[in-house]
Order: sequence, then C-alpha cells, then structure tokens
Amino acid sequence: MNRSSDAKSSSTGKTKRPESASRSLAKPLTALAVLVVAAGAVAMFLVKRNGPESSPVAASSNVAMPDKPVITTEGWSKGNPSAKTVLVEFGDFQCPSCAAARLKVDNVLKKFEKDLKVVFKQYPMQQIHRNAMMAAQAAEAAGKQFKFWEMYEVLFARQNEWVNVPDALTFFLKYAAELQLDVEKFRQDMLDGEIRNKIFRDLLEGQVAQVRSVPSFFLNGRMMQSVKNDAEFEELIAQAIRTAQ
Amino acid sequence: MRTTTWISVSIAALAFVGMVDASYVAIYASQGFLLPCGIAGGCDQVLNSPYARVLGIPVAWFGLAFYLTTAGCALFALSGFEQALRLSFPLVSLALGFTLYLFYLQARVIQAFCDYCLLSALLVTLIFVLHLWSRRHQGQPET
Repeated sequence: MNRSSDAKSSSTGKTKRPESASRSLAKPLTALAVLVVAAGAVAMFLVKRNGPESSPVAASSNVAMPDKPVITTEGWSKGNPSAKTVLVEFGDFQCPSCAAARLKVDNVLKKFEKDLKVVFKQYPMQQIHRNAMMAAQAAEAAGKQFKFWEMYEVLFARQNEWVNVPDALTFFLKYAAELQLDVEKFRQDMLDGEIRNKIFRDLLEGQVAQVRSVPSFFLNGRMMQSVKNDAEFEELIAQAIRTAQ
Repeated sequence: MRTTTWISVSIAALAFVGMVDASYVAIYASQGFLLPCGIAGGCDQVLNSPYARVLGIPVAWFGLAFYLTTAGCALFALSGFEQALRLSFPLVSLALGFTLYLFYLQARVIQAFCDYCLLSALLVTLIFVLHLWSRRHQGQPET
C-alpha cells in the first residue's frame, strides 16, 4: 500500500487502521528514546565533570601513540632510588598473579638492593575485577599517610578476604585501622579526585605502553615478555644491571 | 491543559531526573569508583554495603528500569493511551514500598544516607502522589 494514500485514507476515514495505530505508538516511543538518550548524555556529562579528568579509553583516543612505549619511573618505588636499573610493574590488587608476583619482586629486590629500583603503577582491570579500582584507591589513600607499601602488602596478602565481597570498603577501612592510619582521613582521601586522576594517569600510561595483562613488567622501559620462570626473570634483571654498570 | 496531561508531563519530567540520577550512580558503580557525595556524605557506605545489590545487580539498575518504564507509561498517556498511567500504578506502588525499605536500611541498618538515594526516594514519592492525584481525578478505576 502506498504511504501517502494510506495517510490520506487514515486522515479521512472514520475507522482506525493498524498503520495509524503504529504511527500513534511511534510518537511516545520516539519521545521515550529522546528522553533516554538525553538522560544518558546528562549522566555522562556529570560523571565527566565530577569524576576523573577523562576515562582511559576516551583519553587514549586523544593521545598520539608514540613509536616506542615511554615508561616513566614515577610512582611508588622501593630499592635504590638512584639505581640505573629500573623495574616498573603495572599491577592490579585484585589479580592473584600480581599477589604472587610481589614475592618474586621482593626476592630480586633483596638480591639486587643496591642496583635496582622497583616502581609500582596502578593498573586496575575493573572490567573483570570489581573491587580493583577501590583497592587502588585504598592503596593511594594509605600512601597519602606514608603507608602505601604497608597497604600494598596487606591488600595482596589478604586478597581472599575482599575480592568477592560486595562491601570491600569495610575491609579496606579495617586494614587502615590496623595500619594505624587516620581512618576518617583515609576514607576522605579515597574519594579524592586527585587520587582518581593519578590512577587514571597510570592506566593511560599502561595503555599507551600496550599493557594487556597484569602484572606487566618493564625493565628499563622495555616490556618483559615471555619470561618463562622466576630464574629467567632474575637473570634478565641481573643482565640489565651488568649492562648498566 | 487537562489534568491528565500535566500530571503525565510532570511524571515524565520526574522520571527523566530519576533516569539521570540512576544512570549517574550506575556509571560510577560500573567504573568501580567511590561516588563523590555532597550533603548526606554517606554514599560510599550505602553504595558499598551488602544492600546495594539485589541478586548481584546494583540497585541503580533497577531504579533505571523503573524510571524508564514510568517515563514510557507517562508518554503513552500523553499520546492518548491514558490507561498506561493506570497500568503503571502497581509498579509505582511497589517502587514506593522498596524505597521505604531502602530508607529504613539507610536510617537504621547502615546508619548513613546517600544523596542520590534520597533524591530517588523523593522522586518516587512525588511520582506516587501524582499517580494518586490522577486516579482521584479520573475516579476509582474498575476493579
């Protein structure tokens, strides 16, 4: 049936046809769609305005990808601050491999204490780890009270306690109290935009450096790939230290 | 303007605000961040409590579905399907009951209030009142 003739007949005819019914349904459905899109847009605007400067995905699309990954050595560090060999880890507190990797890192750090600096950068994979972002915020908030590494240790060592709970914050507040932090300040700092921005900067840096999984290690700016075991990990670091000397 | 018309417009407008509120909380929750909280100051406690999810789904998503349905019914009522408003009344009543339960949880169990939840409670209450008004205007529906 021709559309114009249909319109004509429905406007002039006295009986309602199914087409006219669908047209009258189209109006509220269109209005609803407009309302949904507008509500989503306003919510996104508010999230962007009140939240971190930008989401990692959005931000990465605005950043020119360098030819070679550029890894800064800024971040939470331990070992020799002026060491020529720097091991950077992108880690996620909710990842079991990261918890295991910290023991490996501690071992190499003990062995090469004078020649190695270890830097930890936040890479919470929130799509698969629902409490990872909050854990990252907790570690950063503890860092504001000079206890980042203490919280780092607690979060990894007691990972099983908080990974699958809906109220992980309760656990983080408990850990803060156990570490003798000012719990109220800790709670406020967790909400701090500056902390969220710092985490997002780490995430962005990791994305630019092609981090695909956690933990990801970079030795003197180069990603350590296909490392078979702890012995090879240690050997690669030993080699880098020898080369630096 | 007919009473049903302005009631429907008001319900759609309130549902729109509700959609923004629920989407905002849902987006924040999906990013895993703690939500900045203004007046009430207890958003982190409320939204990270065990009561913030039902069957593993964040309550904000249920809120979003409710406001979406309510807005849809109001818009249908505006387009001449006036029974849509009446049909959504049981849902609005259920939402009010759930809102009262959430308010009780905030006041007595969690002992903290969340701005976004309070705003939603206000919106649901206003939508319920408008529904009552509309029913009163139309007369009691056939049972």
